[in-house]
Amino acid sequence: MIIELGHYALVLALATSLLQAVLPIIGALRNDHALMEVGTVAAKATFLLMALSFSALTYAHVTSDFSVQNVWENSHSQIPLIYKFSGVWGNHEGSMLLWVLILTFFSALVAVFGDNLPETLKANVLAVQAWIAASFSLFILLTSNPFNRLLDAPGEGKDLNPVLQDIGLAIHPPLLYLGYVGFSVCFSFAIAALIEGRIDAAWARWVRPWTLAAWTCLTAGISMGSYWAYYELGWGGWWFWDPVENASFIPWLAGTALLHSALVMEKREALKIWTVLLAIMTFSMSLLGTFLVRSGVLTSVHAFATDPERGVFILVILILFIGGALSLFAFRAAHLKAGGLFAPISREGALVLNNLILTTAAATVLIGTLYPLALEAVTGAKISVGPPFFNMTFGLLMLPLMLAVPFGPLLAWKRGDLLGAGQRLFAAVAVGLVVGSAIYYAHNGGPIMALFGVALGAYMIAGSLTEIFLRSGLGKVTGAVALRRVSGLPRSVFGTALAHIGLGVTLIGIVAVTAFETEHIVEMKPGMTTDAGGYTLRFDGLRNGNGPNYSEESGHFTVSQSGLELAEVWSSKRFYTARQMPTTEAGIRTFGLSQLYVSLGDDMKDGGVVVRIWWKPMILCIWLGTVFMMAGGAVSLSDRRLRVGAPARAKKQKKPVLEPAQ
Amino acid sequence: MLFWILVATLTAAVAAVLLLPLLRAAATAEAPQSHDVEVYRDQLEELKRDEKNGLISGDDANFARAEVARRLLAATDAVKAAAPVQPLKRGNRLAQLAVVLILPAVGLCLYLQTGNPDVPDAPLAARLANPGDDMNILIARAEQQLVAKPEDGAGWDVLAPIYYRSGRVEEAAVAFRNALRLLGDTPVRLGGYAESLIALSGGLVTNEARDALQKLLAIVPGDPRAQFYLALALKQEGKMPEALAAFEQIVSTSPADAPWLPLVNEHIASLKGDTPAAAQQAATPLGNPTGDDIAAAKDMTAGDRTAMIEGMVGSLAEKLKTDPKNFEGWMRIIRSYSVLGRKDKAADALKQGLAAFPADGSEGKQLLVLAGELGLKAGGGVE
Repeated sequence: MIIELGHYALVLALATSLLQAVLPIIGALRNDHALMEVGTVAAKATFLLMALSFSALTYAHVTSDFSVQNVWENSHSQIPLIYKFSGVWGNHEGSMLLWVLILTFFSALVAVFGDNLPETLKANVLAVQAWIAASFSLFILLTSNPFNRLLDAPGEGKDLNPVLQDIGLAIHPPLLYLGYVGFSVCFSFAIAALIEGRIDAAWARWVRPWTLAAWTCLTAGISMGSYWAYYELGWGGWWFWDPVENASFIPWLAGTALLHSALVMEKREALKIWTVLLAIMTFSMSLLGTFLVRSGVLTSVHAFATDPERGVFILVILILFIGGALSLFAFRAAHLKAGGLFAPISREGALVLNNLILTTAAATVLIGTLYPLALEAVTGAKISVGPPFFNMTFGLLMLPLMLAVPFGPLLAWKRGDLLGAGQRLFAAVAVGLVVGSAIYYAHNGGPIMALFGVALGAYMIAGSLTEIFLRSGLGKVTGAVALRRVSGLPRSVFGTALAHIGLGVTLIGIVAVTAFETEHIVEMKPGMTTDAGGYTLRFDGLRNGNGPNYSEESGHFTVSQSGLELAEVWSSKRFYTARQMPTTEAGIRTFGLSQLYVSLGDDMKDGGVVVRIWWKPMILCIWLGTVFMMAGGAVSLSDRRLRVGAPARAKKQKKPVLEPAQ
Repeated sequence: MLFWILVATLTAAVAAVLLLPLLRAAATAEAPQSHDVEVYRDQLEELKRDEKNGLISGDDANFARAEVARRLLAATDAVKAAAPVQPLKRGNRLAQLAVVLILPAVGLCLYLQTGNPDVPDAPLAARLANPGDDMNILIARAEQQLVAKPEDGAGWDVLAPIYYRSGRVEEAAVAFRNALRLLGDTPVRLGGYAESLIALSGGLVTNEARDALQKLLAIVPGDPRAQFYLALALKQEGKMPEALAAFEQIVSTSPADAPWLPLVNEHIASLKGDTPAAAQQAATPLGNPTGDDIAAAKDMTAGDRTAMIEGMVGSLAEKLKTDPKNFEGWMRIIRSYSVLGRKDKAADALKQGLAAFPADGSEGKQLLVLAGELGLKAGGGVE
């Protein structure tokens, strides 16, 4: 009964979404307070119903209720409890339910915290959110219902896809969805502004925190997915330019652009129309990503569902929303008042450059992803656009961007002094060159591009710190004053610096791994040793074991350096009985920021086993950088002046209460 | 019943919550521009703070202040200019009606389409605690116990016939084999094992099955089922006179009303070379001899039958392509092709079969003997 109640709650959530999609917008047109208020209430109700529905499905998974088809197909009575939970969204139907749950959660947040928004804006935003929620609820109910029942309940489930039985995969999809769906709020704000034909001053103040939050989650989701692919797929790669990865990377690039243009808009009321367009494009790219992954157009580990009916349904949603939004933009953009003016060389100008490069990069990745599909659809020819294309085009685009990154925060608003900024960055350039040469020397004879890449990364890190250093006035004023000034800096300054440092750290990791990685493929028998990355690995033998729902064969290795035993590494191959699927569990040993990566291959007839060993110098920098970026996002988000959004209304409080004096 | 009460309560509660704002007295909406004024005032405050903390120079602060003040003035003018907003008196009836109608209408229509209100929850723990006649649970429970104790013969013994009945013949064969290994030979186990193997190989009586049947006959001499399959095996090997004798032996020892007699007689008739013998001869060794195929084949026209056989041969050929180490399969397909009159295909299959089983081995020799009987010649390149 709980399951059927959950099913009914989902249907009822669709019904409330339909009301929320229509009534507030009529209310906004007629200036009818009561009708607009329905939107607020309906948003909260829809979220509660979706939460009820999702809880019911979770209950079914946790209690291994195999009378639910979704549970039978994606769960097993013997898997650890955490995978019973993550199995809820480790499949197409459940993940779509999670998608809508998060969407309605954001609508509810707007409803709860939107008291200080202009009433009509809030009503329109909630209505647009409800259009999306209603479309996807209908999609779930008609083509991917997780509550389908089996009348003759099987006694055991078919198990969760073994590669998904991993802690990283328990967190990766929800984070990614928080990001994807978070951009829906920006989209709704953009559409609401277009419907009203005016952009409030409060608009950017609202859009920016949403963009920041969504962007932070998306960064975390992509980063986690990349690390998961690195340690789980067993061949040591961390980014494959796989179409599905691109599908999440394109919204990230667009979202990064949006983040920066919203900044200009908030501070300077410039770039209004452009920001609206970016908000539309970012969410459109999220929808496109959903379509590519869910329709079965692409085959990958993410494509749980290869059902053309679903693809067509999502395609229709896609066309309606993207097409509708862009048409609306075409009709209404001219009515929006353009914002402030600025000189080409200024903070705004730097951010425009950032936007241009990021959107071009997003378009490049998009073309690289879609071109093979389009070509196959038109001519039937199968081509694959691989990493060389992306590395060339995307890498070249990123180069000027990364050079420019430290300049942005150092330029003044409205009109800036490029030469002055360049002089102030002199120290950073020097640091970059020194670090680059040092790395070059340490790895004697590494490729010249690597020297340049590492230097660029170090330059970005130093350049990002330059701003804080300069604003503290250290050297001109006493240490105490400088400290007071630093602590008085808005948190968004630290956020900016952290995020830019993160970019530099990631770049260093990417360059170091690409240039200095070593790979050994050897056939080893127990007792044999091999060298990798300055360490010696001894293969001690294989051991068989059993997990709750798999059997495994683990190889034991001892790592030593100049005769000294340092560590041991277990690397295993698992076989999941229910799905008859093998997986690899790579043995990874971390030394500082570098890693030794051991993966077991096939057994040989003579008792040996093929072992792949990689030495990955500074690989952790790649993900450490994303942690910096996330921290930057979080710090920036915690800046009260952003979080307040619009100020409290005057009639409630004479003088708006803001952050306490620092 | 409780379910529908809850559904009604949920629907009513949601409707009530949505109706609430519609029933309240209409409030005056304010001009949207008034919010802008607040935002600009806030920006001026922020500027003041930044200046106090030394984060912005005096000149810059003055610039910015002038700019924000300009915006503030414009926004204040806009508020004054905006026409006072008229509160709406009435006009919510339609919205109220929509709430009251749409929720139950959409909810019930869609739910009745997609839901299964009568299916109760079935958490695994509850089903395990009280399985009743839940066949799936009985299997799952026995399986779980066997994973923990794989040497429990009684468990395999219980599970094996259940597997066979539910069509999971591969598991059935494994379970019978384990039960035989752990608990020893009984007629039931031997017969079940043989039948699982025969079903698994698509009707072919394999050597393994024949061994089991012979053991069974040693325990229960004259067991008609074992005799039947052994006779079938002879026929499948192409030993037609021996097969005919074996089938006739079954008829002579069976009671006149034995249920298997029609099937046995059919084999006798085909072996004697009656009417469309050629097609029928191939039909039996290929189809499941006890299954529906035979029943269906009886009512078919000769053309249909040939089509059916060709379908079966095709699927067998596919199987052999992926798994060429299937000696019985090669024997069968070579014979089938020659029965169908496809000498070229038969020769081709012979060649491939010999590639998998070289002619100097015992299996290869059997293939060559068969080819000789059928008048085929193996390609010179193979030998």
